[in-house]
Amino acid sequence: MNYRDGLLRLMAITLAAMPLAHAESQAGGNPWPALQIKGFGTVGIARSDDADAEFVRDLSQPDGLGKHWSGKVDSMLGLQANLTLNARTAAVIQGIARYRYDGSWRPELNWAFLRHDLTPDFTVRLGRMGTEFYMQADSRMVGYANLAVRPSADYFGPIVVSFFDGIDASMTTDTGAGLLRGKVFAGWAGEKTPFVKPYTWDLRGSRMFGGHLDYINGPWQFRIGRSQIRFKHQQPLNEAARQAGFPIDILAAAPELSIVGRHGTYDSLGFAYDEGRLQVQGQISHIRYDTSAYEDTTSGYLIAAYRIGQTTPYLGYSRTRSSSARLSTPMPPLIAAGIRDFIDQTHADQATVSLGARWDFMQNMALKAQLDMIRGERDSRFPMRNANRDWDGRMNLFSLALDFIF
Amino acid sequence: MRPATCALLILALLTGSGAQADPVVVVPARLGVEKLSHEEVTNIFMGRFRALPSGAPALPIDQPPGSPLRTLFYQRLVNKDQASINAYWSRLHFSGKATPPLQASSETQVIQQLLTRPGAIAYLERSQVDARLRIVFEFPP
Repeated sequence: MNYRDGLLRLMAITLAAMPLAHAESQAGGNPWPALQIKGFGTVGIARSDDADAEFVRDLSQPDGLGKHWSGKVDSMLGLQANLTLNARTAAVIQGIARYRYDGSWRPELNWAFLRHDLTPDFTVRLGRMGTEFYMQADSRMVGYANLAVRPSADYFGPIVVSFFDGIDASMTTDTGAGLLRGKVFAGWAGEKTPFVKPYTWDLRGSRMFGGHLDYINGPWQFRIGRSQIRFKHQQPLNEAARQAGFPIDILAAAPELSIVGRHGTYDSLGFAYDEGRLQVQGQISHIRYDTSAYEDTTSGYLIAAYRIGQTTPYLGYSRTRSSSARLSTPMPPLIAAGIRDFIDQTHADQATVSLGARWDFMQNMALKAQLDMIRGERDSRFPMRNANRDWDGRMNLFSLALDFIF
Repeated sequence: MRPATCALLILALLTGSGAQADPVVVVPARLGVEKLSHEEVTNIFMGRFRALPSGAPALPIDQPPGSPLRTLFYQRLVNKDQASINAYWSRLHFSGKATPPLQASSETQVIQQLLTRPGAIAYLERSQVDARLRIVFEFPP
């Protein structure tokens, strides 16, 4: 099926690049290969103790976990080829197969860029790159790089854009008392995302830009960032309403729900402390929309870990809360109630305590076990998929994962 | 035995054949780099900022995988074991930010590359350092 076709295509791309790299390495008499192929992956299974709502890793997944063990939320496979063209220029492509917006596992080209170091402290990349709306957002699929089974769903869940096509530039300077690094990016989104099943919302062509500033000193990293996306396409609201037996033109009745030309703005602050056995990191973000289609959201998390031999136990806490959306256009009560029903699905108000351990049992492999206790209000719906009316907002989640790099 | 003699003996045992001595960080002598700080060496080997004080690009070289010198180097540099270092690099590598130091296949290749590659910097055992190389950083005892 599609999964295999996609993987084959990915391998074909990689193989096609090989002779090129080989020629280069011979010409340069280089003892290190000009072409390097590496990969990462996770085999993860998880289940919850609640059938009234389905947990998803982030909202790019159309459905999630129930009370039976499933591998779809966390399992993935990535393959990356780095082609060194000269000392300052390299090409990188990366494909990832994971459970995606359309319910398939078809691999996608997530990264495909040309990188050039104009000077050691000034780098420009052009092509397709992972989005870094928040600190570590661009490596959130690399399980082996991360402490927990998955990045906090409360925090990273609303980020449905995993890559963009465009340009970024980063500049680093050594202040003598720590490094200061600034990065800016601009481009267009290239993905679709699930809406009310079976509909999807097209994000392709939505303009994005942003930047962040890092301060790095010894074991400390601090980050402040802002990103913005301008949505290009309308959400299939009317189609979803018709399907739900509510055949009215929602966008005509409540124009404030229109999202075309509207913006989502993501502000964030983060820190990480990583010294020896101890790792602590935390972030806080605020998402603002100038449309009533989504509610403004504030989220944050804190995670701490301490390594003992090969085992690293960790403890995390995360919280997300959105402000209730307002409907400003006057309308008949029946229609208002129907529309209210729709926008209530974007309300978030929950906290999660995560407890787990990572075991680096052999080189380039780690096993993880994790318990997440999600405690939300009855009206918290947004972070989940297919939540019933009766769901009480509470859920426990059990996860096991094997992360590897090769 | 007097306490001083005892301490000397323990010291000799620790630094002698039993325990490995700390690596030293070296560059080619002709490069003209005099000294680097702990933070500068960390920035270069951990891919945070790969520039020499002159502004020229720095090219870090790692000892072969599994080398005790390599393990000791990262232990002293950032207090991390090899698994943590690998996890660190997987984040930077798979987000296209930076690549790990070049990996030599043998100790001899480290020195050979040090002398031929522009901006090369590596760590060695002190006994391997000769007149062609300059020690730019030593771990405090």
